[in-house]
Amino acid sequence: MRTFFKNTLPALALLGLVLGGCQPELDAPKADGGSADFSKYLAVGNSLTAGYGDNGLYLEGQQNSYPAILAQQFQKVGGGEFKQPLFAASESNGSGYLKITGFSNGSPSIGLETANTAMTRGVGLDGKTMPLTLYTGTDNQNLGVPGIRVADITTNGYGLNNPLGFNPYFERLLPAGDLRSYVQYVQERVGTVKPTFFTNWLGNNDVLGFASSGGTAAPLTPVEDFTTKYNQMVDVLTANNAKGLVATIPNVTTVPLFTTVPTAAVIAQVNATPIPAALVPTVVAALGLPAGSALPTGTRFGLYIRTSSATAPVREATANDLLLLPARSVINTASATSPFPNGIGLVIPGASAPVAAALAGFANPLPNNLVLDSGETTAVATRTAELNTVIKAAAERKGLAVFDANAFFNTVARTGIVINGVNNTTSFVTGNLFSLDGVHPTPRGYAIVANEMIKAINSKYGSSIPQVDPNAYRGVKLP
Amino acid sequence: MKLKSLLLVGGALLSGTAASAGGFQVSLAGIKNNGMGGVGTGLALDQASMFYNPGALAMVRERGVQIGANATFARQAFRAENGTEDRTLRNSVVTPFSLFAGFGPAEGKWKAGIAVYTPFGSKLQYAEGWEGRFSLTDIDLKSIFVQPTISYAITENLSVGVGVAVLAYGAVNLQRDVPTTNGQGQNGHVELDGKAENKVGFNAGIYFKPSEKLSVGVSYRSKIDATVKGGDVTFSNLPEAAKPSFQATEFDVTIPLPATASIGIGIMPTEKLTLAIDVNHVQWSKYRALNFKFNNNVGGAGITSSTSKRYYQDALTFRLGGQYALTEAFTVRAGGSYDMSPVKDGYVSPETPDANRIGGTLGVSYKAGEHFSVDVSTQFISIMKRSQTQAELQDNGTTDRVAGTYKTSIVIPGIGFNYTF
Repeated sequence: MRTFFKNTLPALALLGLVLGGCQPELDAPKADGGSADFSKYLAVGNSLTAGYGDNGLYLEGQQNSYPAILAQQFQKVGGGEFKQPLFAASESNGSGYLKITGFSNGSPSIGLETANTAMTRGVGLDGKTMPLTLYTGTDNQNLGVPGIRVADITTNGYGLNNPLGFNPYFERLLPAGDLRSYVQYVQERVGTVKPTFFTNWLGNNDVLGFASSGGTAAPLTPVEDFTTKYNQMVDVLTANNAKGLVATIPNVTTVPLFTTVPTAAVIAQVNATPIPAALVPTVVAALGLPAGSALPTGTRFGLYIRTSSATAPVREATANDLLLLPARSVINTASATSPFPNGIGLVIPGASAPVAAALAGFANPLPNNLVLDSGETTAVATRTAELNTVIKAAAERKGLAVFDANAFFNTVARTGIVINGVNNTTSFVTGNLFSLDGVHPTPRGYAIVANEMIKAINSKYGSSIPQVDPNAYRGVKLP
Repeated sequence: MKLKSLLLVGGALLSGTAASAGGFQVSLAGIKNNGMGGVGTGLALDQASMFYNPGALAMVRERGVQIGANATFARQAFRAENGTEDRTLRNSVVTPFSLFAGFGPAEGKWKAGIAVYTPFGSKLQYAEGWEGRFSLTDIDLKSIFVQPTISYAITENLSVGVGVAVLAYGAVNLQRDVPTTNGQGQNGHVELDGKAENKVGFNAGIYFKPSEKLSVGVSYRSKIDATVKGGDVTFSNLPEAAKPSFQATEFDVTIPLPATASIGIGIMPTEKLTLAIDVNHVQWSKYRALNFKFNNNVGGAGITSSTSKRYYQDALTFRLGGQYALTEAFTVRAGGSYDMSPVKDGYVSPETPDANRIGGTLGVSYKAGEHFSVDVSTQFISIMKRSQTQAELQDNGTTDRVAGTYKTSIVIPGIGFNYTF
């Protein structure tokens, strides 16, 4: 028996060694640049490219921008270093941003982060814009400028601190007192960086500025103007035969800013609210009916909005009008100008026009800037489609990859997107994809965008750039 | 023989194992059988027949006690679809035990015995940060069956047997990350931990040995539902704001431990050589879905249950093995098995990253004198490479798991001690 153990113990020890070697391996997927060269990458665009989110540009957002994620993945197929105009650690909160401070009755309370910002220079020469600490690096490769429209790219002084107003994010990237337009700045960067690959995601603000103001601010960029300037930018970027990717403009109706307050449900709720008995005599008197009369059949509350239409500035809302996210803190709050709460009025069948108008929500409709009415919504959708046609034509002309953000976000808005067991939707806060401003993605959203871009690049250039695990990037940060 | 104390030892050692037969079934009962590809239904080798074919127990010549132990070393590689990192398991070793004791008159027609074994189990600990962490980070399934058995030889050639299979101990521990992020940047985490209720099933078999050179057997082990009621739910690392959505403290779940029907043939061309084949049919098709019920919210107001599709299919295992008596004292064994996965394409989940399995086994016995012998076995099992894509998951409605490629191999050395009297 002893000898048996003496003989088998070495065998068992040997077995232990064999076990160490039994770890199975899977061949690494091939990572290859295909017909594109990713050694020098330049990113052009607006807030989305800069890494903007939560209504602000700050260090964490910059570090998780889609160009930063792309560059990191490009490095696996021969990509080089990628420099971003990062905020200093001591000013990491950049422009400041929105954050959730708590919850009341299930709704998030949203506050502003104001500490450690880069707004160190006081008010600008226009008396309102807060310029940011200048970026002094000369090696910038992420040229994303929040707020910029294609319509703005040839405007001289767009980034100059001047009394007529300026873009502080562009001003920050330029040397002090620089008058150059954005396209000139890009031209200089192209000359210096000599990019072999670029991404260009411009165009969103050419519809979004209009849409997010309920149609009150910046007009929709005319197609002709957009076409000229967009092609000019693409020509600058492809001057050295660089390959690249362009992205289309998503529908505004796929982002939470326009979808979180459900118009149809709000209307239904308002319509179903019974008229308080105490109010009946007042209304009866206003209608000139004998005291004690009942209200005309069909009298009910309605939701009223102010539209941009000159002929009928106030009307009852329909399900085709989009209520913007901030409207939810206005609807049904006390009005300064009407006995009824904001947005609420009475609909009285058969009443004479002046009386109906007096009792309807004409004194307290939802203001124009909180409503993208049906006419404006249609105009935005039409213009978005027209501008996307221009973008795709430019890509076709230069043989570029296209990330059809419009089609992608339409799908996501309809079905959500599940990745590695986690469901992401376009819902506000809980959907993981959109930050607290309801328009810009979260780091998770940007990672998913980067993956979609990688798919488009791989398919166009025969490359095999690996994707990232979006779940490693956060959604909305909860306290 | 101090049977009582041996039993206590067997019962006190928690058993569990990385799965080593299709799904989370484990066929590691007898160390001799382990060395022969897991055959045993058509043989009357030793007391472990109580597991493979209770009908054969009456034909086992010696009375005796056998205690066996295995150590399972599971190693796995995983790559997420489109992912770059090769994920490996945090290595763990589990050591399933078995114990078989048979008694009865040496020349009588009946034998009785008691068996303790672990027919189902699984333990996997995935790598930190692996892509499937929102499906699963850790699983530990354990079961211990105690089976009092009686077997009767109707004629010299034919015997029958039946055992009452008692699920004496069952435990489930499942952990995964919750897709929330707290102020420290951590994902939430949930742990489900519960004990199964005791349940009773049966294991029955018929053994027929028409000649010195041939034996056949059939056996059937019934299905038992392992039911956990009021298991503990523990959430951690949740952000304050998400806590109202995750209020559950208790869960109920039922996991079917499916019925297994086996047929086996033994051929003894010479006195020294034994060859055997087995076919097992496991009714995995009973495993339709993994349904959890909770006593409060799990992921939102009013969400108090979860369901995850399984739709397993019945699966066959083919086993082939043999032993050869080199000398009076030494017997060597070899065998192989092919195990069809019950998991359909697009349904592979991290709890059982299953695929068809190929196994090769070796074994040796040493008989030290009249009463005592030692068995040693080693099994090498390769769970073949298997991939599933996100598109397949979407088509099947199984997006609660992760798309990618798994490849697993398991090495299971085992040792058994026999005392016959």
